[in-house]
Amino acid sequence: MFYRLSGIRHTSYPAARQLWPIAADRWQVGLVTALALAAPVLVSDLYLGSYVLPWLIWTAAALSLSLLMGLGGQLHFGFAAVMAIGAYSSIHLTRAGVPFEFALLGGGVAAAVIGTAFGAAALRVKGLYLVMATLAMQYLVDWVITNVPAISGGAQATLRTPEVSFLLLPLESLDARYYVALLWTVLMTLFFLNVKRTSFGRALAAIRDKDFAAAVIGVDPFRTKLMAFMTASFAGGVSGAILAFCYYGAVTPEQFGFNVSIQLVAMVLVGGLGSVIGGYFGAGFVLLVPIVLTNLIAGLAGAGWISVSQNLAAHLPLIFYGGMIIGFLLFEPLGLAKIYDNIRKYFLVWPFRHSGS
Amino acid sequence: MQHDPVTARDPRMLHPDWKPEDTLIALLARNAREHPDRVALRERDHGIWQQTTWAEYLDEVLSLAAGFEAEGIGPGDIVLVTGDNRARLYAATLGLIALRAVPSPAYSDARPEELLDQMTREGIRAAVVEDQEQVDKLESVRDRRPELARILYDDPRGLGDKAPAGASALSDLLARGRARLKAEPGLRDDLVSRASVFDIAVLLHSSGTTGAPKGIPLRHGHVLSGVRNAAAAGYFREGEEHMAYLPMAWVGDFSFSIAAAIELKFTVNVPENQETALHDLREIAPTLYFASPRAWSAMLTRVQVGIAETSGLKRKLYDHFMPFALKLEREKLEGRSPSALQKLWRGVGDAVIYGPLRDQLGLRRVARPYTAGEAIGEDVFLYFRALGLNLRQFYGQTENCALAVAQSSEDISLTTVGRPFPGVEAKIDESGEILLKGGNIFDGYFENEKATAESLRDGWLCTGDAGQFDADGQLVVLGRLSEVMHKADGTRFIPTYLENRLKFAPAIRDVCVIGKERGFLSAIVCIDFSAVGQWAQERGIPYTSYAELSQRPEVVDLVRGEIARLNAAVPAELSIDRFVNLHKEFDPDDGEVTRTRKLKRGVIDARYGQIIEAVYEARDEIEYEAQITYETGETGVLTRTLKIGDLKGGQH
Repeated sequence: MFYRLSGIRHTSYPAARQLWPIAADRWQVGLVTALALAAPVLVSDLYLGSYVLPWLIWTAAALSLSLLMGLGGQLHFGFAAVMAIGAYSSIHLTRAGVPFEFALLGGGVAAAVIGTAFGAAALRVKGLYLVMATLAMQYLVDWVITNVPAISGGAQATLRTPEVSFLLLPLESLDARYYVALLWTVLMTLFFLNVKRTSFGRALAAIRDKDFAAAVIGVDPFRTKLMAFMTASFAGGVSGAILAFCYYGAVTPEQFGFNVSIQLVAMVLVGGLGSVIGGYFGAGFVLLVPIVLTNLIAGLAGAGWISVSQNLAAHLPLIFYGGMIIGFLLFEPLGLAKIYDNIRKYFLVWPFRHSGS
Repeated sequence: MQHDPVTARDPRMLHPDWKPEDTLIALLARNAREHPDRVALRERDHGIWQQTTWAEYLDEVLSLAAGFEAEGIGPGDIVLVTGDNRARLYAATLGLIALRAVPSPAYSDARPEELLDQMTREGIRAAVVEDQEQVDKLESVRDRRPELARILYDDPRGLGDKAPAGASALSDLLARGRARLKAEPGLRDDLVSRASVFDIAVLLHSSGTTGAPKGIPLRHGHVLSGVRNAAAAGYFREGEEHMAYLPMAWVGDFSFSIAAAIELKFTVNVPENQETALHDLREIAPTLYFASPRAWSAMLTRVQVGIAETSGLKRKLYDHFMPFALKLEREKLEGRSPSALQKLWRGVGDAVIYGPLRDQLGLRRVARPYTAGEAIGEDVFLYFRALGLNLRQFYGQTENCALAVAQSSEDISLTTVGRPFPGVEAKIDESGEILLKGGNIFDGYFENEKATAESLRDGWLCTGDAGQFDADGQLVVLGRLSEVMHKADGTRFIPTYLENRLKFAPAIRDVCVIGKERGFLSAIVCIDFSAVGQWAQERGIPYTSYAELSQRPEVVDLVRGEIARLNAAVPAELSIDRFVNLHKEFDPDDGEVTRTRKLKRGVIDARYGQIIEAVYEARDEIEYEAQITYETGETGVLTRTLKIGDLKGGQH
């Protein structure tokens, strides 16, 4: 209805690959960007700090994992550990006096090095076996962090993030932390959008679809898989560091446990493998829906609309949440991104049923 | 101007107001000078639009001209140009014009014999063609036209080093021309200034339905004056996006894609090929769009098919908003303007249905959509106007660059073709023929004094069309003059005019209007079996065959309604008073119509004489004994009772 496709023509092949050739997509992206920039003004601090901010950071983390799982087809069930490496490394680097900007990079590099070492397993194994290998990484990293006091400060300790500033902007106020997180998520989004159009992105897709077929057409599986683990781990490490500095303010090993890894996988799957908008939808769904459901049921019970026991009221949101995940995946196995895509296409061919008529 | 064009053939005397240096080539050079970087041509190649600026366009034209000259082509030489629309063919046409040679376009689907006839008639010795297909056609008749020495082709696919003797690629010629331009410094300016406004810019051809096609030479001055008249009346604007997809041999394409494009700095967009033209149209979204009534009608069908298979909500919205817009458009034609609420609701419809539909068709930016060539169906015309397109009709012939008469935005009507352009005069002579006069009227047929004398009288072009002016001075085209008939009281009528208007009704497939030397007009109607069959099904009217369906009282009433609608729209003396539904369709195998479904009146009059007499004897029905020839050659007789419908209450 609001998509206008006539008059879109390309005068060169590079121009034909532009990200948003349709005007309606451009103004939608522009609108969302403007809303994101104005969020500190539009949204109360409570909502900004406890909903929007974590949503953005987890989106960046989900996109990092989606790069590996969605584009490269490499399963990873220990991604929380990768984030933990980034978080702890950057905290220790800033404590050692390294500026925050470099500490972020350092955290990313540390995560990339360790993540790639474990990713090397992917050169030999695939599918469930790779899941096992990455699970091993999750537990090994957890164990090391917990049991090496030099890293965690002791098994029960909480490591506070030091006061830092990013590009001369002190990271004390919520707004400053929000904008740093927004910057990183936007960077991650742009990177993800563009990597699909590069030779690396295409090599990843080839590896995902059939690695030995890709090898036959000249894509080096060794190099490409390691690159995939390295890129995703670097991005995951930085996301972990941002999570620690901009949201948590203090880290404990439990914040990066196995269940967090599973949540990340859920974000990627529910959102839609290898999709940018899926990353946003998936993180939003996994993160915000349980909260919304809890508030809703508590509100309903409080107002006397439904009568449930205290015990059931605590579990009802989880029941609905689980049901919704199953429902969505049954209804559209390709995730929320596919649902969005279907809606977009419905309007794209408006008022016809399909294009080419 | 009182010169007889047959004797005073010097164009300088015929057109004293033309300035010699006012040529297409000079205007092209002006564009290249004033807007060197503006896009002049766009051609789709493997999905990518290759752009040519005005400076590059001029350079290509002059290089090709230099190349042609090196090949021995010079002033007055007639050169065959044939193929689908290609940017390089347009440049080659202009290159020939720069050399004062005469491009003679032929339709890309012309048969080899037709090309041979054209080459023999016009003494053609060189040809510029699109691709291997055209080269092969020329090659097949080359033994009968040995004078054809040079064939230049644009697309080398399938030719390469297998090209026949004398055939070479235009790209090689272009390279040689470029080298020449570089080597001879004064050549560029010389080539730009050679042509004169009195030169023949193009040699077009009449359709040749009767006898051999006649050559129609148009001079620079003719096409430029046509274009300027049209621009003065606002039919073209400067810098239009134009889609060049109609055949290059058709006068409209020369007028639009070459003359108007150069004079008014259009961007001319050439589709990848004929099959992708509609898709490419959407990529371009032109601002000026010209299509035949048949093409508009095909577009309407496309929309209807798309809507028929679309999903619930979309169809519901369409089914609400489209009839609403049609109703408003109909009221507007009747002179009633919509209320504020209706305007608001139309705005909603524009956002929801009309706008998206225009976008789907690639007509989102079209401010000036036109149709010409034949009468456009009322439904089609109204539909696109309701969709928010200012669709208007043109009237013209090759002889006047197809730029003579058009409807203006203010007074659209279903029956007229509008008013003459400024600079064009129109009048109706005593025999009812439309005569036109103006700078865009040609000076005479190619080497055909007799035809010239018949069509040009004292500077007036006899169009061969019968017409009249309506009350507000708009021209109404009735049909070919050769088809005019008279009733017994001398009233003039043109059966095809009435027939065409009746045939716009979906229920009527064919109709033959009778009334020559009779007291009143009557019609033999062949219903459209599929449309009326569908109509009958929806209403639960039983029938077994065409013959039975045609005689159902409901169907007779349906046809009566359609005729009554026509009668209301035409002068009283042209109303059809009685009609009969025929028990069969007119069939080319029975000789009643030609293969292109044109009526053969003599056959119909003879075969259905019995029925016609019954109609004029004021009877209510007739027992008709139909002669039937079986496939075995035996003949039999079938008796049918045909009902005769009356619209005047039987006072005849």
